[in-house]
Amino acid sequence: MIEFHLDGRSGVAPYMQLIHQVRHALRLGLLREGDQLPTVKDVAAGLAINPNTVLKAYRELEYEGLAAARPGIGTFVTGTLDGGSLAAHGPLRADLRRWMAKARRAGLDDESIEALFLSTFRSASEENIA
Amino acid sequence: MTAVIETEGLGKRYRKLWALADCTLSIPAGHVVGLVGPNGAGKTTLLSLATGMLAPTTGTIRVLGGRPAAGPAQLARVGYLAQEAPVYAGLSVADHLRLGAHLNPGWDAALARRRIDQLDLDPGRRAGKLSGGQSAQLALTLALGKRPELLILDEPVASLDPLARREFLQDLMETVAEQQVSVVLSSHLISDLERVCDYVIVLVDSRVRVAGPADELLAAHHLLSGPRRDMATLPDGLEVISASHTDRQSTLLVRSGGPVLDPAWAVSEVGLEDLVLAYMKQAAGRGHRQRHLEVQK
Amino acid sequence: MTWLTWRQFRAQAITAVAALAAFAILLAVTGRHIASLYAASGITGCHGGTCAGLASQFLSDLSSGRTFPLLPDGANAYVILYFLSVLVILVAPAIIGIFWGAPLIARELETGTCRLAWNQSITRARWLTVKLTLIGVAAMAVTEALSLLQAWWAAPIGKAVGLGGSASIMSEGRFGPFVFATHGITPLGYAAFGFALGVTAGLLIRRAIPAMAVTLAIFAAVQAATPLWVRPHLIPPSQTIATTEAAQANVFPTGGSTMVVTATRVAGQPGAWITSSGAVNAAGQPVTAPAACESALPHALGGSGSPECDNCLASHGIRVAVSYQPVSRYWPLQLTETGLFLALALALAGFCFWQLGRHRS
Repeated sequence: MIEFHLDGRSGVAPYMQLIHQVRHALRLGLLREGDQLPTVKDVAAGLAINPNTVLKAYRELEYEGLAAARPGIGTFVTGTLDGGSLAAHGPLRADLRRWMAKARRAGLDDESIEALFLSTFRSASEENIA
Repeated sequence: MTAVIETEGLGKRYRKLWALADCTLSIPAGHVVGLVGPNGAGKTTLLSLATGMLAPTTGTIRVLGGRPAAGPAQLARVGYLAQEAPVYAGLSVADHLRLGAHLNPGWDAALARRRIDQLDLDPGRRAGKLSGGQSAQLALTLALGKRPELLILDEPVASLDPLARREFLQDLMETVAEQQVSVVLSSHLISDLERVCDYVIVLVDSRVRVAGPADELLAAHHLLSGPRRDMATLPDGLEVISASHTDRQSTLLVRSGGPVLDPAWAVSEVGLEDLVLAYMKQAAGRGHRQRHLEVQK
Repeated sequence: MTWLTWRQFRAQAITAVAALAAFAILLAVTGRHIASLYAASGITGCHGGTCAGLASQFLSDLSSGRTFPLLPDGANAYVILYFLSVLVILVAPAIIGIFWGAPLIARELETGTCRLAWNQSITRARWLTVKLTLIGVAAMAVTEALSLLQAWWAAPIGKAVGLGGSASIMSEGRFGPFVFATHGITPLGYAAFGFALGVTAGLLIRRAIPAMAVTLAIFAAVQAATPLWVRPHLIPPSQTIATTEAAQANVFPTGGSTMVVTATRVAGQPGAWITSSGAVNAAGQPVTAPAACESALPHALGGSGSPECDNCLASHGIRVAVSYQPVSRYWPLQLTETGLFLALALALAGFCFWQLGRHRS
């Protein structure tokens, strides 16, 4: 079963952190379809956070189709985030390395690389939505 | 949703000083409500009024629809943990449970015993010999044992070490998840409240400054930084809570109805601590201005 | 609530029971000697004039044996025990007020435990009612028990005094300030009043130690003032005027040409309690001048007046006006005084209820 943790200083809302951790675990295969997520009570007690926060995270996961609540029993994983297969990750990772090497050769430091990547990523995502 | 605590123009005065003034709130049920503010802001006064330990000077307050401490039935619905978690030093832990059983018709003895076992408290131990965290847990057991609908906690973790504080809050969250109980707790330690509360009331200088669901409140406040500007040129719909200026830059904490779209400003989110500090600054500023005006007269 | 009252009161109750037991044992052990001495004195079968003499003999026998070194003659163990036992009963209500009454509310306010107690599912009124009733009744019971034990122990002494025995420091009559407040039913009234006083002081002062001090001060003042100013007037005294001889009056010269006349008995009223007396002239007005009888006055204080003095005063129409309470008024006075203090206790309790309800600490 997955164990949650909270970073109080990350600036990210607690319920988002929980969602991210579930998705991260799904991506890495730590969580598989049919696994049970920890109960709201256990998460609230373990992390000393409001149970409504946990409920909010679980409801969001349900909305995204990643989990489903079974009343009286618990919340279970219903989806995957493999994005098909892990096989596609290899070539994409290699492409990314090449791009980063290019950026370094162009004289960008780490922060500039990160800023460039994030701003492009954001504007591209917005175009996708639009 | 019904309100657990409803106040209308509530005020409490001690001789010449208003400990609480002009308090109008409607606290919904089913939340963990955090009452935040600096020491002396009026948190204990508000909670004492809610439990019937104090009588109001002006205004009204209704708790779970009834007058605070109006009778045994009303008292049974509200659990209270006072500041410093008072317990009878000469009585043992088991004696305290017996106290709860004798004085509360709705006492759940099995629940109380289960909690004591889980918390590893020795029933034969005198309460005076317990550590700060343990007596807070004992007092919480007494408050919960009668199965209240509303639990009021006044600075429950203020004098506890970090580990005891964490354990207390974990225990409290577990209880909230298990039972249908609304919680109102006050603290001047904001970091604890941020994780635990989903409804926030900010009390500064005897007045309620802002109150509402935590995520709504935080979403409505922003930190704006940008080139130095005159306050009058700000767009409408922005209420400035606190402002600081250098010769080149202005930093403002504002409350707004919608998103801030002015490109001149860098907008960032605000945490609960910064929010409370901004309101404290605002209150202090008003006080200075008032004093200044009085001197001018 | 009964359980909680008992549990919080437990230590004090055990102390009280232990003290009571010690008191009882001490009196039981020494009482036997008194009883046997009384039986041997022959008072039980006496009649008429011999009784006073036998009674005096019994009392002096009792006070003279087993003298401790350093103590004056006539102040032996029994005399000391007599006074100590009376003192215990006299002081008990004050101790109850200090240790049972003052901390009752004050300690809860001081330590903050009131916020625990008053948020259980009982009202403050009920909390106070049970505490006041149970501990108040215990206070009255303990004090009255002390009184009854002492009365049993000192019964022979009382009988001897009643028959006219004197010549002992123990021969204070039943109306005496120490005896009246420690026998009969007055201990009940004092215990209730002392307790209620302590509770009220604790509620108003909100801290136990200062409340204890205030309770002690007020109770001591009341206890001192009652026999002087309250008790004589609880029931209006009877009045009579008699010659100095008939009243066996003491005449004291008080410098210059004034005198003070105090009566020591009322004819036809044995055992009466004289509450006040003074010289009056033929018209019934108070006088202080001996009116030509100066030469007949005793030369030093303490003189009880010679027959010449009595004749001279009588021939000038100077007599003694006496206010007194006859023996028959003993129980009415007891009831009235007890009723007064019980009423005071109830008034204080009522005040506490009102204050607790509205002030809301």
